[in-house]
Amino acid sequence: MKNRLPAPYGQLIDREQQIDFSFEKKSYSGFAGDSIASALAANDQWLLSRSFKYHRPRGALTMAGQDANTLVQLPSNPNALADRETISQDLAVMAQNYSGSLNHDRGALLGLFSRFLPVGFYYKAFFKPRGIWEKWAPLIRKKAGLGVIDQQLEPEYYDKQYKFYDVVVVGAGPTGMQAALTAAVDGCEVLLVDENPSLGGSLNYARFDAEGTVASETKERLIATIKANKNISCMTNSLVNGWFGDNWLPIISGKRLYKVRAKQTILCTGALEQQAVFHNNDLPGVMMSSAAQRLMHLYAVRPGKASVIVTGNNDGYANALDLMDAGVEVKAIVDLRDQPPETSLTKAAKLRGIQIKLGYAVYAAKKKGNHLSAVEIRKISAHGLCEHQYQTIACDLLCMAIGYTPTYQLACQAGGQLSYDDQSSMFTLKNLPDGLQVAGSVNSYWELSNCLEEGARAARAATHALGFTQGDAEQPIPRENQSPNHSWPIFSHPKGKEFVDFDEDLTIADIINATSDGYEHIQLVKRYSTCGMGPSQGRHSALAAARLVAAATNRTVAETGVTTARPPFAPEHLGHSAGRSFYPARRSNMHYRHLEAGAEMLQAGAWYRPAFYGRSEERDQCINNEVNNVRNNVGLVDVSTLGGLEVRGPDAGEFLNRIYTFGFVKQPLGKARYALLTNEAGVVIDDGVACRFAEDHYYVTATTGGVDRVYQSMLKWNAQWRLDVDIANVTSAYCGVNIAGPKARQVLSKVCDAIDLSNEAFPYMAVRQAEVAGIQARLIRVGFVGELGYEVHVPQQYGEALWDALMAAGKEDNIQPFGIEAQRVLRLEKGHIIIGQDTDAMSNPTEVQMGWAVSRNKPFFVGGRTISELENKTINRSLVGFVVHDPKAPIPKESHLVLDGQQMSGRVTSCNYSPTLGKAIGLAYVEPSKAAPGSQISIKSTAGVLVSAEVVALPFYDPQAARQEL
Amino acid sequence: MTHVNSSQPAMQNQRRSPLYRRHTELKAEFESLGDASLVSRYGELAAEIESAAQLGLADLSALPRIGFKGAGAPQWAISQGIKLPESPNHSVVQDDGALVGKLSHQELLILSDLAGSSALVNSLEPVQIESLKQSEPAAQTYHLPRAHSHSCLAVTGTAAAEMFSKVCGVDLRSHKFAQGQIAQTSLAKINAVIVRHDLAETPCFYVLSDISTVEFLWDCLLDAMQEYAGVPVGVAALRSLAARG
Repeated sequence: MKNRLPAPYGQLIDREQQIDFSFEKKSYSGFAGDSIASALAANDQWLLSRSFKYHRPRGALTMAGQDANTLVQLPSNPNALADRETISQDLAVMAQNYSGSLNHDRGALLGLFSRFLPVGFYYKAFFKPRGIWEKWAPLIRKKAGLGVIDQQLEPEYYDKQYKFYDVVVVGAGPTGMQAALTAAVDGCEVLLVDENPSLGGSLNYARFDAEGTVASETKERLIATIKANKNISCMTNSLVNGWFGDNWLPIISGKRLYKVRAKQTILCTGALEQQAVFHNNDLPGVMMSSAAQRLMHLYAVRPGKASVIVTGNNDGYANALDLMDAGVEVKAIVDLRDQPPETSLTKAAKLRGIQIKLGYAVYAAKKKGNHLSAVEIRKISAHGLCEHQYQTIACDLLCMAIGYTPTYQLACQAGGQLSYDDQSSMFTLKNLPDGLQVAGSVNSYWELSNCLEEGARAARAATHALGFTQGDAEQPIPRENQSPNHSWPIFSHPKGKEFVDFDEDLTIADIINATSDGYEHIQLVKRYSTCGMGPSQGRHSALAAARLVAAATNRTVAETGVTTARPPFAPEHLGHSAGRSFYPARRSNMHYRHLEAGAEMLQAGAWYRPAFYGRSEERDQCINNEVNNVRNNVGLVDVSTLGGLEVRGPDAGEFLNRIYTFGFVKQPLGKARYALLTNEAGVVIDDGVACRFAEDHYYVTATTGGVDRVYQSMLKWNAQWRLDVDIANVTSAYCGVNIAGPKARQVLSKVCDAIDLSNEAFPYMAVRQAEVAGIQARLIRVGFVGELGYEVHVPQQYGEALWDALMAAGKEDNIQPFGIEAQRVLRLEKGHIIIGQDTDAMSNPTEVQMGWAVSRNKPFFVGGRTISELENKTINRSLVGFVVHDPKAPIPKESHLVLDGQQMSGRVTSCNYSPTLGKAIGLAYVEPSKAAPGSQISIKSTAGVLVSAEVVALPFYDPQAARQEL
Repeated sequence: MTHVNSSQPAMQNQRRSPLYRRHTELKAEFESLGDASLVSRYGELAAEIESAAQLGLADLSALPRIGFKGAGAPQWAISQGIKLPESPNHSVVQDDGALVGKLSHQELLILSDLAGSSALVNSLEPVQIESLKQSEPAAQTYHLPRAHSHSCLAVTGTAAAEMFSKVCGVDLRSHKFAQGQIAQTSLAKINAVIVRHDLAETPCFYVLSDISTVEFLWDCLLDAMQEYAGVPVGVAALRSLAARG
């Protein structure tokens, strides 16, 4: 580690813990706390990656995880940021996006042809001749993309957690720390959050004075006070990755996504240093001034041996002093300004004998191998132009300190508007929502004292708003006279390669050509050129691009603006979004009895239901056996998932009369009645039976998937009607079974002797309340499967005991459970429709042959008016039953088309092999001319095979309904 | 009246919590409660009390509970000698240890004490619609079968609120969610009623949710509790913590 600086450099590293890792299969050592990039830099490995388009060599640029130069491949994680990801023992790191080797990338040859790959090249080159894109796409896609996903990787555990605070301060630099301290008054819970490993922000690495003592003194004082304050919680290594309504802040920390609710948010997110734009400004060894300072102070890495600083502000001078202190030769400070104001920092630089070139620019960088070897500086002659005379300075480090953009992304996501003053080169953020404030350098304050006062001001405003403190409205502090932003650090070069956007390898010419191609709006320039669309999302290209577009279109930067900032702020792992999702599952009280009986379960919505009992490879036979057992013996099916609604009160009958299509006011006590539900458009949306247990009490069933909607609909309607009725959804309060088959009564009577089960005493569609196996139950004689049958509903926690009792009672009669699949076949044989399967969003009662369930003798029901109007019109389809007579024909499936010649005239909604009839039967929508029994229809079945079927009258089975009325 | 009967398998009861298999797998010791069983404890009681004080999850689904709703429900409840909270989403403890919560101006939730011996709850349990509608004060008062529509879990301990923040968007910390307060919210994506009802000094939250989802919820909560060393606990530990006051 020949580039290591001695302590106290290296705040983040632990020199006692050596970590061994590899990069490009070569072994390296670093210290605990080192980022991959810092550990490699300590070992003089500066080349980290290759650029996306031209495969140019790239190295550390920001050392803050804000650029795409440091994207590397980790074993389980592509596109990891090498300047943010810490090293761990035996970590294997590889570079990305190269052909051959990282040092000798064959892809770099593309750079020689860059003049043939102008902006918009894709749009211009690959659309002719027609179809050519299909040829190019595989080649381009192979070249595009960076890292490689490990598809064998076992998912890791990610989760989420809510947190609640009165004030959340984003950014723990000097402004943020002061804001947190000021906000942490009695009772005010404050969260201070920062994406970096420690509090301090720029105090950790930047220099604010000639002596270099102010930063550390200020930091230590603030941190000590924060740690002593119990009202402040701190989260480091935690990224606030977006701003959503009402100060909902997603914070990513480790493998957890915190969903933080803040009453007030103060953004102290600081500013992002920008690059100068000149020829070869992307070479390894060219980096932000703050990156060099981070390398030294955070990681104890000497960023180079001989340096040049190009600057337009005081920070370049501060960095020069830092570099000298660290033993780095400072060859020159190249100041873009002719007459920079004299400060303690500029004086100190002069005193140290540093060569200062005023009014000069770095015009080009030169390389040796894959690293910076020299810079060519020239006197600035005019705006963006230089004289021809030049001076070459050999160096292996060029630090760029030409200005900043505020880290405005979160503020803009919140609706803030970023404004730019072309005269002062200063940004401001306006139109922030209530409860959100910005402070410090994100608000264009740069002096440390001003930043501290800004933090305090924002905090006072927040605590005033929350009522923790009282006082006059906070006034903004006066603006600073000097901006650290140089107005035009952009210098075009005849050979180009002055990169505006490092992510996408976009140069000055690319941006200007985009405007020349007619894309003058900054949003169009972005989409046409892809500027700002790479991993760093324009953090270092937005301002330069805006300046170039402004100049090219004769507008100001303020008029040009920047592109929209949307969440997330930084790329996040899919695991953070997907991790620990909840998929609620519902089980009836009998669930495990089904599993014990060998049921194959299926999910209907959240409910688990037994599809059939037996081995999946014998599915059809199992279903047939279950059907036959119900038809000829007795079966038991779990119907607990059916919806259950209590409708109670003096107006219960009137209410049902208005809700359902049938009449219910005169429904006798102790009887059930079919209940068909339509919406205002007359569309069938649900069905069930309404059981009248008392004058003012109906128990109404609904479909498994529809009950919640029915319940909501009932509540909505009664909110308008204001009838004296109460509606309660008791679906989960009851378990139910249907015991069905010729022997159903015989079996049930063994556990239910409190009532007379005979057909005379308890006829079809009657309801009773009685004990079954000692459990208070509701019994309903229904015929959904077309046999003698009783639905028995008991309170939920008695479900398993009921199941056990009935199975035991039916043992000598060989009672067998049957599943949903058999039930579907049984009901199909009986011609009963399933709402949602045999109906769709347009089905009205007439179409589905349910006109018999519609009362014409009542003044109103939901959908009634529409239905009566529809009944006066010609229908254009009809749901009919059909039979496939050819035993060799494939059995049609749901949604197979009914054809009239080559024209689609309908579709199949249900179709199964009927073990009772020995052939395939089904329901299908057909045109009315084909609805008469005996009509022949043609169905386009699997693999396009045409199947002939005959329309028949419904039901297929027991048309006299004798079986269910035994 | 409850009594310990560790030999009686929960599966022999007529009324069975959907979770009884989970309890049996954890070698729970049950106590009978009418025609149901309640987990008394899973292991050594002293350790379980400490666990419950830190973070515990108990299945109280076998305990009686009942609900009433309707425009006449509050007045009828008062006529029955029930003390009502002043506003919705709050609860008050009754003289016999039962807890009565208002879920809205017209909806009441009544939970038994931990012994299942609340005279109030037990007297109301058999009340059915027929008897309610015939008495004048019971007009517009409708019974809700909460014992069967909803499971009842208890999350106990000092880490409970922190654990809840992994599955629930309501701030349940003690200084934000007062004793007796009720939250009707989403818990692991299912609807839940959360009632804060501390066991003396130990934070305790009753969680009532759709009974058909209770196995899902049980698993979700245990998963979230792992981070804080939370474990299933029996009602005996809860009673011990309640008695500490």
